[in-house]
Amino acid sequence: MAQVALTIDGLGVDFGGFKAVNGVSLTVEDGELRVLLGANGAGKTTLMDLVSGKTKSTEGRVFLHDADITNWEEHKIARAGVGRKFQIPSIFKDLTVRRNLEVASCRNPGVLANLRFGFSKQAKQDVDHVLDLIGLTEEANRLAAYLSHGQTQWLELGLLITQNPKVILLDEPTAGMTQAETRKTSEIVNSLKGKHTLIVVEHDMAFVREIAERITVLHLGSVLAEGNVEQIETDPRVRAAYLGSKGIG
Amino acid sequence: MSDKRRFEIAIYLAFFAFIMCAPLVLEPFWLNRIAKYLVFGMLGIAVALSWGYAGILNLGQGLFFGAGAYMLAMSLKLASPTSLQQGSDRPVPDFMLWNAEPGSPTELCCINKASFLWLPFQHQWFGVFMGLVLPAGIATIIGIIVFRKRISGVFVSIITLALVLLVRLVVIDAQPITNGFNGLTDLGWFKVGEFEFDPYIVPTYYFVAVALCLVLAGARLLIETRAGLILQAIRDDQNRARYLGFDVPLYQTFFFAVSAGIAGLAGMFYVVVSEFASPTFMDLTFSITMVVWAAVGGRSSILGACIGAIVINMISATVSETEGFAEAWKVIIGLIFVLVVLYLPRGFAGLAHDLLDRFLARGKAAPSQHAIEASDASQLAE
Repeated sequence: MAQVALTIDGLGVDFGGFKAVNGVSLTVEDGELRVLLGANGAGKTTLMDLVSGKTKSTEGRVFLHDADITNWEEHKIARAGVGRKFQIPSIFKDLTVRRNLEVASCRNPGVLANLRFGFSKQAKQDVDHVLDLIGLTEEANRLAAYLSHGQTQWLELGLLITQNPKVILLDEPTAGMTQAETRKTSEIVNSLKGKHTLIVVEHDMAFVREIAERITVLHLGSVLAEGNVEQIETDPRVRAAYLGSKGIG
Repeated sequence: MSDKRRFEIAIYLAFFAFIMCAPLVLEPFWLNRIAKYLVFGMLGIAVALSWGYAGILNLGQGLFFGAGAYMLAMSLKLASPTSLQQGSDRPVPDFMLWNAEPGSPTELCCINKASFLWLPFQHQWFGVFMGLVLPAGIATIIGIIVFRKRISGVFVSIITLALVLLVRLVVIDAQPITNGFNGLTDLGWFKVGEFEFDPYIVPTYYFVAVALCLVLAGARLLIETRAGLILQAIRDDQNRARYLGFDVPLYQTFFFAVSAGIAGLAGMFYVVVSEFASPTFMDLTFSITMVVWAAVGGRSSILGACIGAIVINMISATVSETEGFAEAWKVIIGLIFVLVVLYLPRGFAGLAHDLLDRFLARGKAAPSQHAIEASDASQLAE
């Protein structure tokens, strides 16, 4: 059995009496791709906020491999090896595409350590490789502000790939994309399988079918079910809570 | 190296050459004036660094300028003959003697309750040291508090604006050691070894000009570093940078302090060329005027903001002394500012960048057009 990359143990948060996430426990193995499903308000994004440090949890713990990263500051969690993509794409719009990726390729976070010019050959190759992977080689010298919505999403994915964290959290990576763009996104995500551990929140069922190995369904802040696509599709509780009677896709 | 980069270096070198050649044509009176404007150019650099590159609109840059100015002015005041005239062989600022209580000792250590603070300033280089450390130190403390709390945007502006007014009040109120409203006047000349920098001689101009070139080149190189790149990333999207693992407040504080240090340096040079320091340096209008210089010149260009500061001051000096405009010159300057902000949001430097891009693009397009025609011609020939 593969090593466990991320362990979430009884994690919860209390927003003044309202428990958006309530005692969620799950383990994700090294190199696994886990999809989080759930209706609006099920606590998917909040769970990501808790893991990445945006929101401080009020109960439970999070472990990255053996390190307890519960409630660390965001940049420390990121340095420990958790990368995150936001629902609303966020990139550095007044920098060129290449410069965006170069920022992500700075391995040392300190100010003084970065008072130096240029990037190593290795870093340049990494950036070229990522540009190729996300299909933005042609746009490398354009300002990120001029990219289309889909390209912006890919650039943010590219930032994460360049950052090279052990665990990648993706919050609706295909939101607002056309079918063709969604297909390309699933190619990128699939190419990350094995190298990184991925947790993906997604609503687009076609996309989920493309990428999913295991699915965890959240409902009202708790884990409702866990399994592969067929298991989830046929689980009566999931149907009742989320999928309706039509099933996936 | 790209064509654009070459062009940029050429423009910097042209600017350096230009300010170095000014003494060849100008008389001492104008030279001293231009030296002051070069100091303002240095302030423009400080504003561009914090506003254009760090995204921190500091409406209290005058605080750092004033802090630097007062630190050096204290040293130069003690070096002035006016501090030795009152029968003492050890320097005591004249204003302290005028305001001393009857019977109090006429020594710097104890002429009033706080005058001992002046003691180390008998060494000119202590004043210089403090003129850099005090502004940078204040900025670091403000930065740690403000940026750790994730205060950003207009709220930082309001805090800095309130701070500069607060410090101005304190300086005016601490009359026994600051000479209040009057500021520090009748200063001695800045000395390096035996050489005295009389504000109206050519070497003093070169002193300021060389310093400006060094600060300009230094600031430009600083933003070329990886740290400078990360700083711009933070300006564009703090959160994204944070989740890439960067300690955002640390970067903001560092560059805020560098900007404050440059402003402090400018304050010191201003004292060297103008021979006074006064609370007007910490007036709100002055701090806002600096922002205007940077906005017109182009806040996202170090050189643009610097030239903006110099040129606006030259224009206002010329216009305000031209008969017929003497009354209206503020309206003219105001109008220029409004038009620039409306039609050139990135200032004149932004306009220059766009023109350069267009020029280079045409330069590139033209040869390839030729190449196509040539290949067409050869195909026809076959």
